[in-house]
Formats: sequence, structure tokens, C-alpha cells
Amino acid sequence: MEILAQLIVSGIALGMIYALIAFGYQLTFATSGTLNFGQGEALMLGALVGLTLVGHMSYWLMLPLVLVFGALQGIFVERVGVLPAIKTKSEFGWIMTTISLAIIFKNVAENVWGHDDITFPSPLPTAPIQFLGIRVLPMEILVVVGALAIMLAVEMFNRKSIYGKAVVATSNDRDAAGLMGINTGMVITFSYALSSMTAAFAGVLIAPLTLTGSTMGVVLGLKAFSVAIIGGLNSGMGVIVGGLILGIVETTTGYYVSTGYKDVPGLVLLLLVLAIKPSGLFGKSVIKKV
Amino acid sequence: MKYKIKSIVIAIALGASFTAFGADTIKVGVSGPYTGGSSPMGISMRDGVRLAAAEINAKGGVLGRQIELVERDDEAKNERGVQVTQELINKEHVVATLGYANTGVSLASQRFYQEAKIPVLNNVSTGSIVTKQFLPPEFPDNYIFRTSAADSIQSAIIVREAIDTRKFTKVAILADSTNYGQLGRADLENALAKKNIKPVAEEKFNVKDVDMTAQLLKAKEAGAQAILTYAIGPELAQIANGMEKLGWKVPMIGSWTLSMGNFIDNAGKNGEGARMPETFIQEPNTPKRKAFIEAYQKTYKLERIASPVSAAQGYDSMGLLAAAIKQAGSTDGVKVREALENLKENVEGVVTTYVRPFTHDDHEAITMNMVVIGEVKGGHVVYAYDADKASVVREKSDKK
Repeated sequence: MEILAQLIVSGIALGMIYALIAFGYQLTFATSGTLNFGQGEALMLGALVGLTLVGHMSYWLMLPLVLVFGALQGIFVERVGVLPAIKTKSEFGWIMTTISLAIIFKNVAENVWGHDDITFPSPLPTAPIQFLGIRVLPMEILVVVGALAIMLAVEMFNRKSIYGKAVVATSNDRDAAGLMGINTGMVITFSYALSSMTAAFAGVLIAPLTLTGSTMGVVLGLKAFSVAIIGGLNSGMGVIVGGLILGIVETTTGYYVSTGYKDVPGLVLLLLVLAIKPSGLFGKSVIKKV
Repeated sequence: MKYKIKSIVIAIALGASFTAFGADTIKVGVSGPYTGGSSPMGISMRDGVRLAAAEINAKGGVLGRQIELVERDDEAKNERGVQVTQELINKEHVVATLGYANTGVSLASQRFYQEAKIPVLNNVSTGSIVTKQFLPPEFPDNYIFRTSAADSIQSAIIVREAIDTRKFTKVAILADSTNYGQLGRADLENALAKKNIKPVAEEKFNVKDVDMTAQLLKAKEAGAQAILTYAIGPELAQIANGMEKLGWKVPMIGSWTLSMGNFIDNAGKNGEGARMPETFIQEPNTPKRKAFIEAYQKTYKLERIASPVSAAQGYDSMGLLAAAIKQAGSTDGVKVREALENLKENVEGVVTTYVRPFTHDDHEAITMNMVVIGEVKGGHVVYAYDADKASVVREKSDKK
């Protein structure tokens, strides 16, 4: 029983990391129907910028600066990669541009920060906390709390503020929102800024747990993508549940079946969701009228 | 216009003088991962080779010609290794190639050297089959040599340390899912089977995995007294850190990658006490080693060598190749191979003094008696046993 509890706790921590990155996919998909395939690289850049800053200031002071950097990076991706594709109504142009931008970011990071994995100094004690026989790192608790907090903040912003309402309106019907006088182009840029900001935030949150390096985002970005598909690309709730499912399934399969197969159930689930409910567990299926 | 013609003439003249210069040198390929997770091995190896080449050139080179290193980054990727190989053989016309830190890259690239009859000295790759790809009778002559300790040697030493010396009876194997990890796992299983021991748990993980809870819990529940590892630095650090998180500390004994800087730095205090087989430990206990360490530190302006084993083996591979070219009196691949297989001169290297390191049928320079156990202590790798430190230069012996 203790072991199962330990596995679930570790799975939750892992799942919240996936959920936070998947949340970024969901943000831009809702407003523009496009995704930033460089989400993993946005996370990596956030973590590396954070690592550089942390040499000069405290971890907590560094957080807002990384958020600003993440937002700027998102705006850059949108202006350079996505906007031209949306303007020319290219169906798939943004896929190639976001992927190629991701490769460029990775190479730039390799040149600036080198090729090695570096340790990120932990802002909290590294000794685990014991609770009913379950051991959890303070940093893991921070990841879960931090991820929930930023997702909640973005949701609150969307629901309560006038700017947030513009975002919601744009995601519901971009053309109608445009006719109502909402600058939908601006909203899409804004959603990219938010999306990369959450990714950069995820980067500095998880960096003390993992290692920091130019390749840290590749696997995480991919796993988060399947979380976004499982949960539903237009549901904020969906990515949290999807992330938790994938995280817990990974750790428990690793223990009870075999560590060699720990990635299999997640992928099987992905296939099942795509076959039975393609819009995701929590997604609303939209009928596309032509 | 006149200016243009002038510059073209100058360019051609310069180009001609460069080719003339190029023909005078002996070109040696150096292929290794200078980027990515294996880069500490690749870069240390390259720097070791450079050091040896500079020393040889300072003494007038070989056959009156200077050695020119053609360094290429294979990025630890098999397909990139093959590209590099073809460039080195067909464009650069190298005499021989030193390098490879990754077993997979070695296996993918060596075929082309074998066909072109150009010797390869693997100085870091450890996969047991690296030197056994082209054996008689199918291939009368094998062009693949090695100056590193094969996995079959390393796994035997890991098992000897865990089972014979430290008397553990229950051990778990943790290996990554790459060629390196899985071939090493098989070697470890074989070595354990010889002692009639079956590992209590055998767990696998992927490169870049961030959570080792499931793997470690399984080993813990199975009652493992020690963890035997086959993986590379960053993931090994995740294992050490994961043990700390679970509040379960058993000794880590594993392949020599536990001595890599990216394990020691990222595991910090959790990595202390990890033990691994080593051909060389950064400790100036012979005059040759003292000179090597001092020259390395001075040239590359650092205190701790990222991967001392790779640096030493890289250095030695260059020395062996130079001795073989000298003996062959030629840079012809066939003659250099024959000289390597019948080296008359004793080559004083960092790892050992090489006395007939290779024969026609034995292409492994390192034997089990040359390998010592290293231990991570205070952020450095030191000798685990003082007795190893005292008896220093061990020559090749067939006794295992």
C-alpha cells in the first residue's frame, strides 16, 4: 500500500509537469487553431535563462524575469513563425515554422550554454519530507502547487478580465469576435506569449528536479503533446487530468509490469482516445460547417 | 578587374602551397562525440590525442613528417559517424583513425575502414563486440584495434568487486535502453551467472528520463544490497538522486561512466562512494602519469579532467599508432596494421607500458589485470584500494 501511494505521489509530480506544458499547447490552439511545436524548447530556454539569472539573484526574484522572457519568446515565435502562415491561410505552414524555430532555439542554446547537462541549484531543501511513510521532495510539492497556481491564474484572467473575455470570444468564434471589434490578431499574439510564459515557468520549476541542458525539452514536449491530445486540446481541465493519468500510469506500470514497458500504456491510451473520442477525454467536438 | 585577377592568382598560389604542405603531413582522423551527453568522453579523448600528437611533432614527427589531426564530431549518432567516416576516408585520405566513444557509432562506422584497409584504434568505446566484427575466416585480416577496457572485462570486474570483495549476494541491475546499456546488461548477467547469481531486479530506463522512482522501488523491494549500473552520466546522477529521495542508500557499482564529470557534478553528495573499473585515475603515481596530468592541466587550463580514462586512452592510442607507422616505415594501411600486430618497440603510455599490445588474433590492448577500482570521493575519482595505487605499471598478461 505504501508503495502504491509512493508511486502515485511521484506520478502526480511527473504528471503535473506534463500538464503544465500541455496547458501551453491548449492556450494557443484555443485562440488560433495552431500549436507551438517548440513548447519543449520554450521550456528549455526558460530553464537556461533562469539558470543564468540565478547566479546573480535569488530564485524567487528570478521567476518574474523568466516569465517576461518567456512571454517575449512566445511573441517572437508568433510573429516570425505563425503570423505569416495564418495570414496566407496556410493550413500547415505553422507546423514547419514552429518545428524549425524549435531546432534553431536548441542550436542557439547549445552554443550559448554548451552541451552538457548542468545542475540547477534548488531553492528549497533537497532532503525529502516524510509523510505516512511516503517520501516527497519539497521541490515536487512546489511543482504541483506552482503548476496549479499559474493555470488557475490564467483561467481567472480569461474569465474575469475584459482582456480575458476577448481571448475567450476569439476561441469561441474568431470571425464573429473580429466583427465585434476585437483585435483577434492581437489576441493570438497574446495567447502565444502566455503559452511560452507557462512553458518557461515550467522550465524553472522542474529544472532543480531534473537537469538543465539544451536537450531537456525534447522528450517532455512530446509527452506533453500526447497529454494534450488525451485530455482534449480545448479543455484546461482536460490537460490536468490527462497529465495526471499519464504520470501515474507511467510510474505504476514501471513498477507493476516492467520498466521496459513504462511508456507503452500511455501510448495505447493515446491511440484509444484518438479512435474512440478524437477530441479528447474532456474536449468538445466541434462540427465544422463548410 | 586587374585587382580581381591578382586576387585570384594569389588565391590559387595560396591553395597550391597549402596542398603542398598537406602532402607532407600524415593525416590521422579523430572521430568522437564533442557535443551531447557523451561529450566529456569525446572532448577528453580528443585533447589527449592532441597532446600526444603535439609531443610527437615537437620531436620531429614520424618518418620526418608532421602528424596532422583531422577532427570530426560524430555527435554520438550512428548515421553521423558514417558520414564522418566517409569524409575521412574519401576526402581526407587519413592513414588511420582514432576515436569513437560510443559502441553504436563504432559498429556502424568501422565497416568502411575495414573495406578500405585503414586501421582504426578505438580508444573509448567499450562494447565487447567492437573488435570482433571482422574475424577470420570470413575476414582474413581485422583492421579494428582497441585501447580501452572491453565491457566483458568491466562487467567481470564490477561483479568481482560486488560479489567477491564486498560479499553482496543480492544485486539489482539498472541499465539504460541504448546499445551501450543493453549490451552491458547482458555482459553483467553473464558475469553474474558465472558466480551462480541471478540479479534480484533488472530495470531499464530511457535517456532523459526524469523520474527513477519505479525502477528504484523495485530494486528496493527485491532486497538489493547494491545497484550495478550501465548507463551514462546524467541518468546515473538521476539514480543517485532518486535513492536519496526514497531514503534508501545502497552502494552503486557500475561501468566506468560513473567517473564522468557529469555524473559527479550532478549527483553531488549523493554520488559519493560510487565505484567503477578504471584504466587510469588522475593520480601522479608514475613519472609518465605526472608529466601527462601536468601537461594536460597546463594546456587546457583546468584542474579536473572531465574523463581522465578517455584522455589517457586517447593519448596512448596516438603513441601506439606513431610507433606502428615508424616501424612500418610507411603510411600504407596494410603495413601499419601488420606493424601494430607485431610491435617491436615498447611504448610507454599513461595507462601502461605497452609490450606487444596486439597480435594478429588479439586486438585488445587492455587486459583485466590493468584495470583498477576507482571511487568517487570529494568530487574526484580516487583509488578505492591503496594496494592498487602502489603497484602501478601493469603489463599485458593473459592471466585473467
